[in-house]
Amino acid sequence: MTKDEIEKQLVKDFGEHIEIQTTDQPEPFLYVAKEKYVEFCKYLTENPSLAFDFLFQLGGAHFVDASGQGEKFDVILCLASSKHKHEMVLKVKLPAENLALGTVTGIWRVADFYELEAMELYGIKFPDHPHPRRLLLDDDWDYGYPMRKGWSGHPDFIPMPDKSESAE
Amino acid sequence: MGMIEKAPLYLERLPGGGVVTTSVEGLLNWSRASSLWYLLFGLACCAIEMMATGASRYDFDRLGMFFRASPRQADLMMVCGTVTHKMAKRIKVLYDQMADPKYVLAMGGCASNGGPFYYDSYSVLKGIDKVIPVDVYIPGCPPRPESLMEGALKVREIIMKQKMKDFAGDRAMQS
Repeated sequence: MTKDEIEKQLVKDFGEHIEIQTTDQPEPFLYVAKEKYVEFCKYLTENPSLAFDFLFQLGGAHFVDASGQGEKFDVILCLASSKHKHEMVLKVKLPAENLALGTVTGIWRVADFYELEAMELYGIKFPDHPHPRRLLLDDDWDYGYPMRKGWSGHPDFIPMPDKSESAE
Repeated sequence: MGMIEKAPLYLERLPGGGVVTTSVEGLLNWSRASSLWYLLFGLACCAIEMMATGASRYDFDRLGMFFRASPRQADLMMVCGTVTHKMAKRIKVLYDQMADPKYVLAMGGCASNGGPFYYDSYSVLKGIDKVIPVDVYIPGCPPRPESLMEGALKVREIIMKQKMKDFAGDRAMQS
């Protein structure tokens, strides 16, 4: 399916829960409501005309606005269909005060490791994850979530010196 | 012909004494330096250069250097690559398992001081000398096989200069 066809199909079935972004990319980008996330993922795999059977990336993102006060998180999934050879990018917005999200490990097995990674590096919580454990970081890691903006929790951490200062 | 010219001939035949001890030390050092078995510790791109050094074009074997996959059989630990905090603990364990006398060679910028991951890195250890004593550092990212061979020759120089009293005990405790 082409980008327009996928978007039309999704709007027809999940119109009020998704928010399609306009980009110049060849694949559709869209946000889905947090409450409908797992249901929507299941629909993407099971609908025969979409058939997104392959999750090739699940990651987190942390945004802080210029004042440094407001922060928000995204979970980003890159999906592909081996049957129809089309792709899409699915995102979920998470407020900083509640980072819990349903798990999609029952839909794509590979999401197991990706969700653990987002759990460790961004602090996004997946309460329904079937096998929560430490994956990447040190076994006795107790220094917070290193991929968040402005993180400097580890005692050995040395931030990059400001280049504008050294140029003077 | 005076006695002075014949002195080396007589001295070697003397039983006991300082001259004989020195040559045993020299023989021992020479044999250790010529069969330097190293523990494989390839962690990143430096490992590729180490493999190239071990392969036929550069040929570590002609220095008597063979890789061992067990710390019990190794004299030299070549840490080739980026060491994370998680891996640093394993390196310490393997170093402790090696039999004395043992040597450590830090290959590349990452193993020496963190290299390109010195700034803004949550996971990379800033040099393996934070956990184990290092004998030779090799700069480069990654160093060419020639550099690694030069480093191996430096380790041999260190071995050749050692005295017998240096062998006893853990060198990490002494330094």
